[in-house]
Amino acid sequence: MNHSLITTEILVILLGLGVLLADLWIRPESRPALGWLAASLLGCILALSLGALTPHDGSAFGGMYVLDGLARYFKGFFLLAGILVILMTVEFRHRLPVGLSEFFALTLFALAGMLFAASANDFILMFVSLELITVTFFVLNSFQRARLPSLEAGVKYLILGGVASAFMIFGIALIFGSANTTNFSLVAAQQAQLAANPVFLTGLMLVLVGLGFKIAAFPFHLWAPDVYQGSPAPATAFLSVGSKAAGFVLLLRVLFGAVPQITSQWQVLLMVTAAITILYGSLCALPQRNFKRLLGYSSIANAGYLLLGVAAESRTGSSAVLYYLGGYFFTVLAIFTVLCSLSSTIDNDEISALNGLGRRSPFLAAALSIGLVSLAGIPPMVGFFGKFQLLAAVLEAARLAPAFYVLLGVAVVGVVLSLYYYFNVIRAMYWGDAPAGVSLIEVSAPARIALLVCLAGVLYLGIAPGGLLRLADGAVAGLKFSPAHAPSVVTAAH
Amino acid sequence: MGTQLSQYFPVLMLFGVAAGFAFGTLAFSVIAGKVGRRTRTKDIPYECGMLPEGPGSARMSVKFFLVALLFVLFDIEVVFMYPWAVNYRDMLKTNAPLALGGMVSFLGILFVGYVYALKKRAFDWRS
Amino acid sequence: MHAGLNHYLTVSVLLFCLGFLGVITRRNLVVIYMGLELMLNAANLALVAFSRFNANLNGQVMVFFTITVAAAEVAVGLALIVALYRKRGTAHVEDLATLKL
Repeated sequence: MNHSLITTEILVILLGLGVLLADLWIRPESRPALGWLAASLLGCILALSLGALTPHDGSAFGGMYVLDGLARYFKGFFLLAGILVILMTVEFRHRLPVGLSEFFALTLFALAGMLFAASANDFILMFVSLELITVTFFVLNSFQRARLPSLEAGVKYLILGGVASAFMIFGIALIFGSANTTNFSLVAAQQAQLAANPVFLTGLMLVLVGLGFKIAAFPFHLWAPDVYQGSPAPATAFLSVGSKAAGFVLLLRVLFGAVPQITSQWQVLLMVTAAITILYGSLCALPQRNFKRLLGYSSIANAGYLLLGVAAESRTGSSAVLYYLGGYFFTVLAIFTVLCSLSSTIDNDEISALNGLGRRSPFLAAALSIGLVSLAGIPPMVGFFGKFQLLAAVLEAARLAPAFYVLLGVAVVGVVLSLYYYFNVIRAMYWGDAPAGVSLIEVSAPARIALLVCLAGVLYLGIAPGGLLRLADGAVAGLKFSPAHAPSVVTAAH
Repeated sequence: MGTQLSQYFPVLMLFGVAAGFAFGTLAFSVIAGKVGRRTRTKDIPYECGMLPEGPGSARMSVKFFLVALLFVLFDIEVVFMYPWAVNYRDMLKTNAPLALGGMVSFLGILFVGYVYALKKRAFDWRS
Repeated sequence: MHAGLNHYLTVSVLLFCLGFLGVITRRNLVVIYMGLELMLNAANLALVAFSRFNANLNGQVMVFFTITVAAAEVAVGLALIVALYRKRGTAHVEDLATLKL
């Protein structure tokens, strides 16, 4: 037992509690300063967690919690996301009339849930950490209590999230009943017998439903557009990078940590889900007029691209998923930081509200364009290289199963469609007519720093992808991939 | 399969008894009661009392709602404290600091929540 | 007559389906929420039954966590539904139509 492994999580929770308490005694006008303090302390935790805080890998709590390469990769990812989201929230404060400090504290609690999710090696810890994320997001999404869209987004997320977690817990009950354990490693040890057990397979399917909700994969994507549109921008940003990444790390751990043999039999299911998710997200994004709703559909399409890497069921595919998430992180946060910077001057999220942004604030317009171009997958941005990696994994898998060529075609169609709707926004910014009598838009120093960090990430990772790619490849070393259609699986099942 | 279904026979009997009781009571009251003897005086809420005024459903104070929510949250902690208390003596033999520290930190987090609710005047009944 | 694992599981699956049916057919948010709770408790019943018949106490520990999570969900959920009701004057899902294309 090695309880010092969870030091990072403990520090984040303490920071959250500290922010909550500090708010009770400070003056309201110093709340933004509290946000900057929390972000810089989180930066210290990130710096410490990279080395000094938890120097050794290992497991704790009876194998329930593991700290390995995959966990470290995602922990760094989540902590950086937390810092940027808090900076973004400070920028967004004009639209959060009450409870700014609570927003920081809730962000930190959701972050703690994500950190635990990155290390979950047991269905119980997986469920509890996912619930910590989900319940916190119920509040974050509906934080603007006076705005009907925000409340409605929160309630929709509440009902659909509640159904997803009910499915997941019932699935876990069935898995517990058939395997007599909830530990991923112990389940993996007896998967040869479990592969023929219908109760276990039903349970696994229900757990995948719950995870499918978190990553917004078809057919569990219904909440995404409404919630993205209605929620406050920092909450949406955290939802689209943090919550999605938590879903993916757990998906990888369950599929390739707990049940790799069964996963290899379910490849077709993953392929079909990926294809429909890409097509649905891309097609529905085409007619959108609201920018945040457009991003909601784009996030569904991106979940589909990420599922391509999962469906490939190879080390290349999984490391491509990690790399793509890293790039997606910088891209999406850049876009949402721009939205937050605009929040004090532009009062709605329609694409037409961005008309003439190129003249009102060349910096913000350039940042938004770089983000969108990266999402569309155009070199030299990180989005291009991420998609390239995913498609390379698909091509590699196509040598074993020719059906992957169809998947490749679907992905290319999705990319072409995405060019149209992303460039619609860019056209509005540079060729749209600005409404008469508007002024230039000022960008504050923290927002400028956050944006520059994100843009540097987008460009650097796109031009020199080697470092992150090596990191991602090392992180997935612990996952197990059964070769597709291996005869040994079939014989072991009987 | 037949034996498995036959195990549910007591459930079916229970259904029969429950339905028989419900419909039997209703039927008895219709037959034995004095059906149809209704007057305007009989239909008002208090047959021999004050005449009611205003809307029938009074609004509950929002305070009840807040207190009920807080109760639900703080009430659940005992779910973890009870097994902890039962096993405390055994845990002392293996890892005493963890046994106490775990519960103290759990209660500490709850206490922060309590202080927060207190300072936000959630328990202030008058305001 | 002895109640075996199958009996408990049958009741649990029935409860789960009833809850889900309530979620998808009812139109009042509070009633939908009751359906959700029914689904969670169906899972609890299954966990306890498995725990008893597999002689593995971990299932019961899991139930503690589920109950806590359910309480947190209820507290947040009811607060949200009440906030929506105050703003909108209704708790029906058909009226949740602000967010449309």
